[in-house]
Amino acid sequence: MTPLRCCDVERLWDEMREGVQPRREHVLAHLRACPECQEIYRENEGIAYCLTCLPLVDPPQSLVPKILDHIKATVKIAAPDSIARVESPIGRLYVAFRHTGITAVAVDRGEDEELVLAKLQRRLGRGLIPSQAPQWVTETVAAFFQTHRPDLEKVDISELTPFEQSALRAAATIPPGEVRSYGWIAEKLGQPTAARAVGRAMARNPVALLYPCHRVVDATGALHQYAYGVEVKARILALEGYHSKGAPPQAARPPR
Amino acid sequence: MSALAAPFIGDHYRVTAPATVSHPVPGPETFESIVDDYQRRLYGFALRMTGNREDAEEIVQDAFVRAYRALAKMDPQQRSELRLQPWLYTITLNVTRNRLRSKRATNVALDALADPDALLNETQEGPDQPQHIVDRAADMVLVEQALLQLPMHLRAAATLRFIEGRSHPEIAEILNQPIGTVKSHVHRAVRILRRILGPQVGRIVPSDRPTAAEEEE
Repeated sequence: MTPLRCCDVERLWDEMREGVQPRREHVLAHLRACPECQEIYRENEGIAYCLTCLPLVDPPQSLVPKILDHIKATVKIAAPDSIARVESPIGRLYVAFRHTGITAVAVDRGEDEELVLAKLQRRLGRGLIPSQAPQWVTETVAAFFQTHRPDLEKVDISELTPFEQSALRAAATIPPGEVRSYGWIAEKLGQPTAARAVGRAMARNPVALLYPCHRVVDATGALHQYAYGVEVKARILALEGYHSKGAPPQAARPPR
Repeated sequence: MSALAAPFIGDHYRVTAPATVSHPVPGPETFESIVDDYQRRLYGFALRMTGNREDAEEIVQDAFVRAYRALAKMDPQQRSELRLQPWLYTITLNVTRNRLRSKRATNVALDALADPDALLNETQEGPDQPQHIVDRAADMVLVEQALLQLPMHLRAAATLRFIEGRSHPEIAEILNQPIGTVKSHVHRAVRILRRILGPQVGRIVPSDRPTAAEEEE
């Protein structure tokens, strides 16, 4: 084996302290013969020693109560959203909202209402209080079906993770009547290998329709998946003027 | 000649990370105990990163609030897969980074460094203390300031490695960097510290510590 050079030996110092360096014997041999490296090791050890000597400073006693108070204050902010039923061309929608904007849209598929609400509550991490939809909510939803370009200022996705937010914003740049792949969004985010993460972000989109995750399909053009069923995805896309040229969307399975 | 049993590769003060505390699946319900268990450690880390107690306190508060929010949103499976300790360090580091970035212009620590003598004199004032304790405190201030002179990513690597005693893989997880990068950052940090502290190190390390030369027969 080639003997180690001084710069290699210097670099291996920290690993040598762990005692796991496979070239340990070589390093030791080098050190025995090289006073300069010995000196560097000694100085490095001195540095490490100095750092371990830095006094451990205890946080003030008041820190824990302060933290817990802070958290309680934040939890209060997580006041429940309101939720209302809104009729639409694709059937009834559940729309959750608060003063900052619409926070969730779910398509009614004839499931038990309580079940739908429970699912939404879990996704939002907040309670939901049934109420009437105010005008700005019905208008925003109606705008989606008229122009397919709803006012995203009225949609609040600030509670989502930064990645989810940017993935949804990228999806919102797809023109109505067109589709793009998960990979396209990933590229757009500058993370070309993140197509799967984009898929997850789309699947977790709480504001269906308004942020158009339905315009995101897989690389072959197949509609792939949709939280409310692929047939609903195909219907929404058809309303926007897009017709899948690839495999026809699977028909809904007849209920047993 | 015996194998080189020098302290610099020996066991005198090998930093080993204490075994990671395995928590029950953390949820908001058990959050208070998480705060209890980790506040001291995260505060110490934030203090070394900022050199400022007020900053450290606020960073830790902010980090725990973020952790709480994130935990509240996780489903049970995500929680059970979570490695709490490195995750908390990562959050603390992110908060620290944001904070330091926004107040970089007013870095008092660096100003003080311009005149190390002033620092020394400052520390020596006050009630009568045995000279060696005063000296020691002054030396520690120098070490503290030297650490603060490092660029933030190198400071994080050095702090986690030598003060927090984390292993290379753990640091890689906390910093979300490859292990090779972590090693090279630690290496560069030590090099710079050696340059800054060079002459002082000999004085700080106790003279009765065996040196390489003495260990050799």
